[in-house]
Parts: sequence; structure tokens; C-alpha cells
Amino acid sequence: MVALDDPPTAARAEARPVRRRRPSPMAWVRRGGLTTLVFFLPLLLTFAYFSWWPILRGLVLSLQQTNFIVTEWVGLANFERVLADPLLLTAVWNTTYFTLLAVAIGFPVPILLAVLIAEMRRTRGFASVLAYLPVIIPPVVSVLLWKTFYRPDEAGLFNTILGWVGLGPLPWLNDPDFVIPAIVVQATWASFGTAVIIYLATLMTIRTELYEAAEIDGASILRRFWHVTLPQMRGILLIMLLLQLIGTFQVFTEPYIMTGGGPENRSTTLLLLIYRYAFVSGDYGRATALSVLLALALSLLSAIYLWATRRWSTS
Amino acid sequence: MRRRTRRAAPVALLGVAAMILSACSGGGSGDDPTEGASVDTDAPVTISVGGQPTTENPEQLADFERQVEDFTAEHPNITVEAEETLWEADTFQALLAGGTMPTVMQVPFTEIGALIERGQVADITDQMGESEVLQQLNPTVMDVVTDGDGRIYGVPIAAYTMGLLYNRALFEQAGLDPDDPPQTWEDVRTAAQAIEESTDAQGFGTMTLDNTGGWILTTMSYAFGSTMQSDDGATATLDNPATTEVLEFYRSLRWEDDSMGANFLLNYDDAVNAFAAGQMGMFVQGADNYSNMVVNRGMDPEDFGVAPLPQTDDGIGTLGGGTISIISPTASPEEIAAGLAWIEFKSFLQYTDEEVAVAAAEARIADGLAVGAPGLPVVNDEVYQQYHGWVESLINVPRENFELYLSTVEDLPLVPEPSVKAQELYATLDPVVQAVLTREDADIEQLLGDAQNTIQTALDAG
Repeated sequence: MVALDDPPTAARAEARPVRRRRPSPMAWVRRGGLTTLVFFLPLLLTFAYFSWWPILRGLVLSLQQTNFIVTEWVGLANFERVLADPLLLTAVWNTTYFTLLAVAIGFPVPILLAVLIAEMRRTRGFASVLAYLPVIIPPVVSVLLWKTFYRPDEAGLFNTILGWVGLGPLPWLNDPDFVIPAIVVQATWASFGTAVIIYLATLMTIRTELYEAAEIDGASILRRFWHVTLPQMRGILLIMLLLQLIGTFQVFTEPYIMTGGGPENRSTTLLLLIYRYAFVSGDYGRATALSVLLALALSLLSAIYLWATRRWSTS
Repeated sequence: MRRRTRRAAPVALLGVAAMILSACSGGGSGDDPTEGASVDTDAPVTISVGGQPTTENPEQLADFERQVEDFTAEHPNITVEAEETLWEADTFQALLAGGTMPTVMQVPFTEIGALIERGQVADITDQMGESEVLQQLNPTVMDVVTDGDGRIYGVPIAAYTMGLLYNRALFEQAGLDPDDPPQTWEDVRTAAQAIEESTDAQGFGTMTLDNTGGWILTTMSYAFGSTMQSDDGATATLDNPATTEVLEFYRSLRWEDDSMGANFLLNYDDAVNAFAAGQMGMFVQGADNYSNMVVNRGMDPEDFGVAPLPQTDDGIGTLGGGTISIISPTASPEEIAAGLAWIEFKSFLQYTDEEVAVAAAEARIADGLAVGAPGLPVVNDEVYQQYHGWVESLINVPRENFELYLSTVEDLPLVPEPSVKAQELYATLDPVVQAVLTREDADIEQLLGDAQNTIQTALDAG
């Protein structure tokens, strides 16, 4: 459909036989272009309707004040109100803290686990299944499960364990200083399986000659990991780091279910703030304005990251 | 040619987008209901109504379907399309945006203020005047759906006051008399200590998440003597001695008596489950929770106790709650009239027709639901007494356990919720309550001062 408006080109095609033939609609159809388009169209429409259209709508909404009956253009007023909210700084800090901590814990752990599992010969399959198991549990279930683990009274799992050695009970999620680390532990537990599987697959593709050569040169296990494994994995490592950064920056489910952003907004993240604007205050303009800002920040972060690592990430 | 093909793709996309755009915007437009002066109540009209019981409740569903049939027989010009749509904070805006909000649906008391403020509910004042029964509603309850200019935006169909819920079994275990519930806050504190000492449960509790912390703090502030906002909604008054006193009360129970348990991140479900499971002795909550606790959460009917919200000498009353039938802001005057006719038929016929009252009560009993649970009548006293007489023999809840509440429910003044940005106020107060309960050194004065500034800024911003 896209190219159907092209004029017939049969006559022109003969003029310069040396040049590459220009595609004609008929040729395009003959080559199966129409079939491709027919198969491609549902995907295109689905994306347009469920992904691109909402993005566009979000951009428009961020410049409007609406109750979905009467809509008013307000320019950048929504952005001004977002920036004036004292909770914004808290949310930015909480989100950054969460991201840094989640990456600091959640990035190296799967790599080490993958390397360990790759070393196992008989139990590799079993170990990777074990590592992947938490990912299979629906997020809400695993968060609720951990919420009961973190129960602050003596009945909580962690407090029961602490009780055996005469410690606690600790307040866990009720402790303003521990709430983010506690959520990071849960989030890492719930998601590291996917990273392990991906790293494991990459590890399997590293040629064994490299290790053999290193071994002949007398390299220790650590040196082999440092000089062979890591450089061979750097492409995937960089991509995973970027994905984790973007993913953890959008943390929502865990604080929403476990703490509701408390205590004292110490676990209120940016997405939770957006949620509150939209569904508690019914203020979609402000919610989309903050979403747009977050998207901009993430794009910027990704751009800087890609620029900074371009040279290193050759593969 | 290649260039043209490439350029054609975005154009095609834009075309698709424009098509979708026009398809979507169709639902948003609607007539201004205040415009049309004359309403033709005999013209054919179709209304959609939410709240149809789900198939797990066959008796209620059958009863509902019968009502739709009877209603249509009585009003042949009105077509009723029933759907199961219920109020959810996170789906309501989408219903409006998508133009799929039913003509009539139910919302809780806590939401109506914000809906009126945002213009997301129809003004039904003009059409209300046509109905006789709807003129006989309880005036205290009607305040909730009336704005400053006297315009009406909904019909309250069930109401309650916030009270002190207490577990009668725990009271007995702690050596307290369940028939003599605490009537002062000092009594509450003593009872909480007793429960804490002699049972495994925590004595007292309060919710702190999803705006419930601020909601209950506001309720308690009324009982201690202050509102949170000036009557015109222009000035925040939450930094006041009464609210400070409430927070001091929390602090004493939490840090001196240690009678409030260990978890201070409780949302509505957490608290209600803890209470129904016998892990919490007392908490402030809607007095209509009997069915919720007993039917939905398996509490022993004999254990459920409810007392009026204790008041200090300065106390100004209690907060109300309940369910309101609202009409879609996009409804035409004819649809509003038809919607009101449905609301009247569905929720108020039982107050004027004995047969309907008995049938509805019997359907509830067949479904294992409560008849005669404590609440606040939505109709005036005279009408209510008549209705009560009709269903008295069918009552299946131990009303003798709520004697004090039932005998005083009409006397305790009902103070409405803050009229402007109530939910934002509650959201701002949640962390204040959390701070007092999780930090022994929390500076109440500072916390309230900061919250006051935040809310005043929000009110000034309009």
C-alpha cells in the first residue's frame, strides 16, 4: 500500500540498462511485497494503537488540563507544577538511590552466578532452573511473599530467623533508612534469573581455545576471568547494564505493594509519584508532564551512556 | 522512488493515527446537562447502570435482573443496560476518557468532593425536584453531595458514621466488658493496654497508607475538636491543637504503652484483615463494616463490636462515609431523569413498598449477607422507622451488640470531609502519621507545620 502510488516505470526501466532496476509496484507485488505488508499490518496497527498512539497522547496531555470532559491547553503549567512539588526531589533521590543500589547489587551477582554455573558440569541445567525460578513467580506474588518475610513483628520470617540467634525483631520496611535496601534485595532476587540465563548463553559461546591458551600461559582462574571472560562478554554486559539502569529507574510495583511509598515517603519513587498524580489526584496533566520529564531524563542517560561506551563496546 | 516510499510510511501512519484519534474523541463529547430546561420524560432513552452483581452471587443477580425487568415494565420508554462496573480509583478516569462510564454508577463518599471539584459528575439538582422519595432523604447525608451553591451531584444510597470498631472476644479475654465500650480516649488507651497485656493481639491500631492515615487522622481531629480546612476550603487549618493532641495520643500508645503493634505501614486491607483475624483490638473505621468483617473476612458475628467515636470535651463530631449513586457528566437531561428514576426504583423503593423491602432482605439472607447491620439511615427518621418495621423479623445481625452505637448514631454530629483537595490533604498527612509511629523523636510541631505549608500551597494554586 505504501508504494502503490508510484507511477508505472516500465518505459523508464529500459532506458538505462546499466543502472540497477528501479522497483515497480508490479515487481514489488510479484516479489511478495503485498503479502509481507498484509502480515506486517496487524503488527503495525497494534504498535500504533497500543504504543505509539499512547505516547503521542501522553505528550499532548502533558500540555493540557483535562477532566476528560472539558480539555484546556495550559502550555507548560503542568511542568511548572511538577518542578514546584517538594516531593519531586525526594522521589528523584529515592529513585537514584534505588537504581544505584540495584545496579551495584543486581549487576555483578548474576555475572558471578553465571560464571559459577558455567563451571558446573552435571548440575548446570538444574542450577540454571533454580536461578530462573524466582522469575517465574508473578511479581505481585513475590512482592507480597517478601512483604510477609519482612513482617516487623516476631512472626515475620526474617525476624523468626533472627530470633533463633537472640537478635531482633527488626522493623525492616518500617525503618526509613532500610526501606530502599530492603526493596532492592527483593527486586534483585526476583529478577536476577533472566540475567543469569543471558550471561550463561554468552559464556557458552566463548571459544575454549582462549581459555586453553591462557591456561598454557599459566593464567590463574581470576586472571582467566579478567582477561578472557570479561572482554568476551563486554558487548552483552554493556547492554544489560543499560537495560538494568532503565528498568530499575522505573521501579514501581515493589514500593507500591510493599510500602505504599512510606515510611515518610522514603520509598516514594518517580513512578509512584506519577501514579499518585494520576490516580489519587486525578491530575493527568501533571502525571504526564512528569512522565515526559522522566522519559527525557532516561533518553539523555542512554545517549550519554552509549556515547561514552561506543568505542569500548565493539564486538 | 525509494525516498518517496520512505516518506509515504509516516504519512500512512499519521493517517492511521488520525483515524484512531477521531474514533476515540467520539466518546468524550456530551451535552451540558444544565442547558436543557424542558425534559421529556416519555421520550425513549437508554441508560447503562453499573453495579450489577456478579455471577458468584446468583441470588443477588437474580434479584437485580428482576428489578431491571420490573423497572422497564413500569417505564417502557427507558432501556436499561446493566453492567458490573464498580468504582476503582485507577479505572474511573479511563472510563470517562474512553466514554464508557455507565450513566449511573456508585462511588464512595470520600470521592464525591473531588469529582464535583473536577466537574466529573452530573449536576442533578433540577431533575431531583421531580421525585417525591428523593425529597425525603436524611439532610445530614445530603450535605455530602451538595456543593457551596446548593447544587446536588448525587444520591446517597447507604451511609455510615466513622466509629470505634472493637473486638468483643478480645475485650472479654482482657477482662473488659464488651457491652460497655470505651467512651473517652483515655478509656481507649486503658483498654488498649489491657488487651496488649492479656492477649496476643495489639490493643489499638491505625491505617497509614494510601491516604487512609490522613483520613483517620482527620476523623480523630474532629473528635478532638478541629476541622482541617476553613469552611470555604480556602485556608488549611491542619496545624491545630486538636490534631497535635491526636498525634500525641498516637505517640503515647506507640512509644509509652507499646500497644499499637509493630507494623506501621498498613493500608485498608491490612488493617481490616488484622482486625477480622483478631490481631487488633480496636481501630477507627466505618461503622458499616459488619458485612465486610463477618461475611467477607470470616469474623465471628459475636466478636464484632462497634461504638460511637469517642469525643473530647471540644469534640465536634465524626466523619461520615457511604455510597453515592452518581450520574455520568456526559448524560443528557433525559438520561439524568431516567437515571434518577432507576436510582429511586433500585435503592429507595424498599422504603416505600413493603413487598420490595422484604424481597430484598430475603435475597440478602439467601446470599449469606447481613440484614440490619449498623449504619446511618439515608432517608429521614419517619421513613426509616416504617422500613425497619417491615424487615424487623428478618434481621440476622446481633444488633444488641451495637446498642450504644445505634442509640447515639443520630445524635453525634456528622462533619463533612474537607471540601477542597481532601485526597491531597490525606496524602500529605499519611507521612506525618507514619513519622510519629516509626520515629520516637518525630517533631510533631514541625511535621504539622510542613504539611500545613504543602496543603496551603496546593489550595492557593487552585
